[in-house]
Amino acid sequence: MEIKAKQFFLIVGILISALSPFDSFSQNQDANQVIEVDVNDESLKRLLEIIEEKVAVSFSYNPNKLPLSEKITYSAKKSLSEILDDLSDKFSIEFDFVEKQIIVKPKKKVNDKRTSTYTISGYIKDSKNGEVLIGATVSIPSLNIGTSSNVYGFFSLTVPAQEHDVKFSFIGYGDISKTYDHSTAEEVIELKETIPMLEEVVISSGPNPEIGEIQLSKSILRPEAVSEMPALFGEMDVVKSMEFMPGVKAHSDGSTFFYVRGGNRDQNLIMLDDAPIFNSSHMLGVFSTIIPDAINSIDIYSGDMPASMGGRLSSVIDIRTKKGNDKRTQVWGNVGLISTKLGVEGPIRKDQSSFLVSGRLSRIKWIFERENPDLKQLYFYDLTAKLNFKLSSRDKIYFSTYSGRDNYFVDNSGIEWANLAGTFRWSHIVNYRLFLNTTIAASSYDYYLHTDVENNTKWKSHIANLNIKGDFTYFVNPDNVVTFGLAINGHNFNPGNLTTDDPNVQPPLVSIKNAFEGVFYGQQEVKLGEHWGLKYGLRLTTWTNQGNAFEFQFDENKNVTDTLFYEAGEDYNEYRNAEPRLGISYFINSQSAIKLSYARTVQNLHLITNSISPFTSLEVWLPSSINIKPQIANQVSLGYQQSWPNSGLTFNVEAYAKRMFNQIDYEPHAETLLNPLVERELLFGDAEAYGTEVTLKKEVGRLRGWAGYTYSKATRTFDEIDNGETFNAFYDRPHEVNIVSAYDITERITLGANWIYYTGSPYSAPVGFYKFNDQETPVYGKKNNARLPDYHRLDVSATFTLNKPQNTKFHHDLTLSLYNLYGRKNTLFINYNKTEVGENEFKIPANLLEDNRVTSQYYLFRFTPSLTYNFRIL
Amino acid sequence: MNKRLLIILILLATFGWSCEEVLDETIEFENTDLLVVEGVLTNRRVAQKIKLTHPYASQNQPEIPATGAVVIIADSDQNFTLLRERPRGSGEYFTDSLRAVFGKAYALIIRYKGKEYRAFDAAPPGQLLPPLKYEPVEVDGPQKFKITFEDSGVNPNYINYHIDWSGTQECVGQPEECRAKLVYYDLKNIDVQKIYAPEKEEFYFPAQSMVIRRRYSISPAYQEFLRSFLSETEWRGGVFDIQKDQVPTNLSEGAVGFFAVTTVVTDTTIVE
Repeated sequence: MEIKAKQFFLIVGILISALSPFDSFSQNQDANQVIEVDVNDESLKRLLEIIEEKVAVSFSYNPNKLPLSEKITYSAKKSLSEILDDLSDKFSIEFDFVEKQIIVKPKKKVNDKRTSTYTISGYIKDSKNGEVLIGATVSIPSLNIGTSSNVYGFFSLTVPAQEHDVKFSFIGYGDISKTYDHSTAEEVIELKETIPMLEEVVISSGPNPEIGEIQLSKSILRPEAVSEMPALFGEMDVVKSMEFMPGVKAHSDGSTFFYVRGGNRDQNLIMLDDAPIFNSSHMLGVFSTIIPDAINSIDIYSGDMPASMGGRLSSVIDIRTKKGNDKRTQVWGNVGLISTKLGVEGPIRKDQSSFLVSGRLSRIKWIFERENPDLKQLYFYDLTAKLNFKLSSRDKIYFSTYSGRDNYFVDNSGIEWANLAGTFRWSHIVNYRLFLNTTIAASSYDYYLHTDVENNTKWKSHIANLNIKGDFTYFVNPDNVVTFGLAINGHNFNPGNLTTDDPNVQPPLVSIKNAFEGVFYGQQEVKLGEHWGLKYGLRLTTWTNQGNAFEFQFDENKNVTDTLFYEAGEDYNEYRNAEPRLGISYFINSQSAIKLSYARTVQNLHLITNSISPFTSLEVWLPSSINIKPQIANQVSLGYQQSWPNSGLTFNVEAYAKRMFNQIDYEPHAETLLNPLVERELLFGDAEAYGTEVTLKKEVGRLRGWAGYTYSKATRTFDEIDNGETFNAFYDRPHEVNIVSAYDITERITLGANWIYYTGSPYSAPVGFYKFNDQETPVYGKKNNARLPDYHRLDVSATFTLNKPQNTKFHHDLTLSLYNLYGRKNTLFINYNKTEVGENEFKIPANLLEDNRVTSQYYLFRFTPSLTYNFRIL
Repeated sequence: MNKRLLIILILLATFGWSCEEVLDETIEFENTDLLVVEGVLTNRRVAQKIKLTHPYASQNQPEIPATGAVVIIADSDQNFTLLRERPRGSGEYFTDSLRAVFGKAYALIIRYKGKEYRAFDAAPPGQLLPPLKYEPVEVDGPQKFKITFEDSGVNPNYINYHIDWSGTQECVGQPEECRAKLVYYDLKNIDVQKIYAPEKEEFYFPAQSMVIRRRYSISPAYQEFLRSFLSETEWRGGVFDIQKDQVPTNLSEGAVGFFAVTTVVTDTTIVE
């Protein structure tokens, strides 16, 4: 309203001045009047007000077009015209006298390509440990232009050939301003982390980097925020934390599965340094594999995926590990109820190379081994390591690896699963505008069910891939960035086979599958004037199935009509897909924007499981092939973003609509284990999702956190299910509320609280019962015809810093977490087939002549306290 | 206890996480004319029974008979047998003395409320019964026994155990209260849900109990039905549950249940 009023007065002022006779005498008198001005770190707006007080003139301007909040220290006793000349140079603005009005407007931008320019580029890092800062803002307030650092911390800004004050800022870090002259510059900018203060801090007034991007449907989860959140057993957890992000729906308690915008759980790609992690769970899913200690950034793309990203329909979780402190060695760790973590990082050669090793090992076996002498193994671990070398000012290489394993063995049987991932990356600055990133990433996931350890009888499923890619970023100018690249991926699948040393067991053979994938993409992001931004891109993929493999052909009744055998290396099936991406942004001003996006995504890896369990079970992956077409999604999103820099608040509302094709469901009680004909068990149909997500976020200050509300629908339609009627997906939960908060009571005590609420998940409830062989059997109506009770939970924590962090190199704290504070019984399953044999002890009835069945509900984790000790040696 | 299940239970019990309790919930009963068929023809020369019912609204309720149907069994030699409802209104339809023969295919034809339901099956060969295994258990009071269940034979089958101790001193109530029926299904398959099925109640019976065993050989179609049937009954409620769904059938016109033809081997043991 205030802005509109000012614009109105500006226009009226101009009209009046145009109609009035020009009063040169008065104007000259004002311009030559000598005044004294002395301001220290005041905003331009305040300075203009001071001048207005001293001279009988008033300034008219459009507040959206001037850097009014920009600070200045200025002291002079000069004529008004000389002072205005100084301000004109400093802020790149110009003044026109119209009677007693002075019209202030920005100098015209120099967009002429022929005008000489120079480029400022480099990396933005944390001054303390040398970690690159991803998404840091680089801006020139006087020109109203800016950019942000990419996922490697690199930025490039091409500017007109004149002197510029460039401001570097990042949330939680102090701003730095540097003056650049006419020569091209490339350097490392180091920002210093601000020490938390109890009084509300004033947030950087620079443009919000998220709002300034032509990017929608992207959430940034800061590892620091994850560390502050109350966690089950104090095990701070990246994947579990994501369930508090609007648009992301957790499966349930005890699970690392999640669903994004109406997509199934296999439609989310978790990438750790560009290597996919296929199973992010420990202890069946109670904890996730990714702990925040070794993480630099977590970006969640839930819709408007950049063309460089793909391979899954619904989301990409882009997680980057820390590269290691290249300035000094530091050690950190913690001891909790479940596990012990230890990490060490430091320079190999100061400012040139660094290492990071971080590990977590569970300590739960001892609790049970006395009472269970048959218990052989009961543990999980994670190990993350990274090496970073700066070869020259233009070349850096990184090696990073992740290994995680779960082993649970009792007597002669057990289950285990293991993730292994490794990445080699070479970042090369070709020139000041062209950045090249070359990556070789490999990952594998193995799942074993040991049925007879003595005879080495085990069921094993496996998925692995090798990815080689080159990503180019070309900074044409600050308003025009082109990215392009290509990748080749090799995939190997074992959908589960039984191996044994027992000659009497002859298991069926399920075909191993291989596939080769080629990817080429290109994308341009360009700002069109002050208000408009356009992003368009195209991702082209070819998916080729390769031998050695065999495939079945089926008739319309799913009877096998032929078995096709393919030699090793023989290409036998191909899918080509184009995935256009489009984004249009209207920047209302530097603090608010309206954005629209469209993305088509394609997925060729399919998780085959009809499990409704929240726990990691014996699931297999299959590639797109003769009998399974690629999954395809089209998504349109519309969003409005607003930030209030002085309070540190950002508001985001986003609506989306999504259609998904070639979705997979299953025949009733499909046999997915050790079934060579598993493709016969699959049903194919479509899915639809739409919703609105609202978030209010405050990332810095004494009170931090966010509140979110989501309204969404997710439905599926399959010809073979309910006669083709649409049904609610398991993850259709129309209402969801998330509140995450952290509050510094004192410098050494921080409280955290999370609250989550969502509508209960749909499930198939019986509509009657019948008996067969005296066993009571449910009759089901339409699929997912009922809903579980609504889910809600409050977690709180208190972190006590045990020493004064400013005065010592040893920092340690103690965190008390209370999970599910009010002990809500959140139903996981409802069963109709058990009998109560003792207090809260339920079993399947043995005697079928007794009618003693009850309805029971199963839940996890009521009030669960935990204590965690954290330390850090700097 | 199943050792693999023990692993999961240990994990879930780690911190007293998991809990199950009675839920006071009633289902939304859909009162339809859905026909439930239970028909198992055997090679025993007896009055074979076909039971027709309708679904009932809540657990443990008595079955609702489907009465007044015309029920016919036909074999591949085009012999037709009309079944009679005995007693009238019971929903149980019997042949005269009849045995299903290995090598023949059989059809069940039901005419009920204007619809004609059909189903087909053929008897697989029978398998010998291994010796009954049971073991004494230490419980309060007189000596008790329990059956030791284990897979046997090479083909899928199931064994019904009819246990009767009504003639023993341990039976203090009505004779029908001193009978039990246990079933052991051996489908020769590997299923996640089966591997991690919820624990089944132990059943103890006194000495001098009579145990009549009947082993039913099952056709591939019947095996498929039983696998789904177990997914919704004995295997349901474990930690690796699969999607709930209607148990498939070999009956036409949307009926549920199954018409099976089996080869039965039987024996009787007095437990001492």
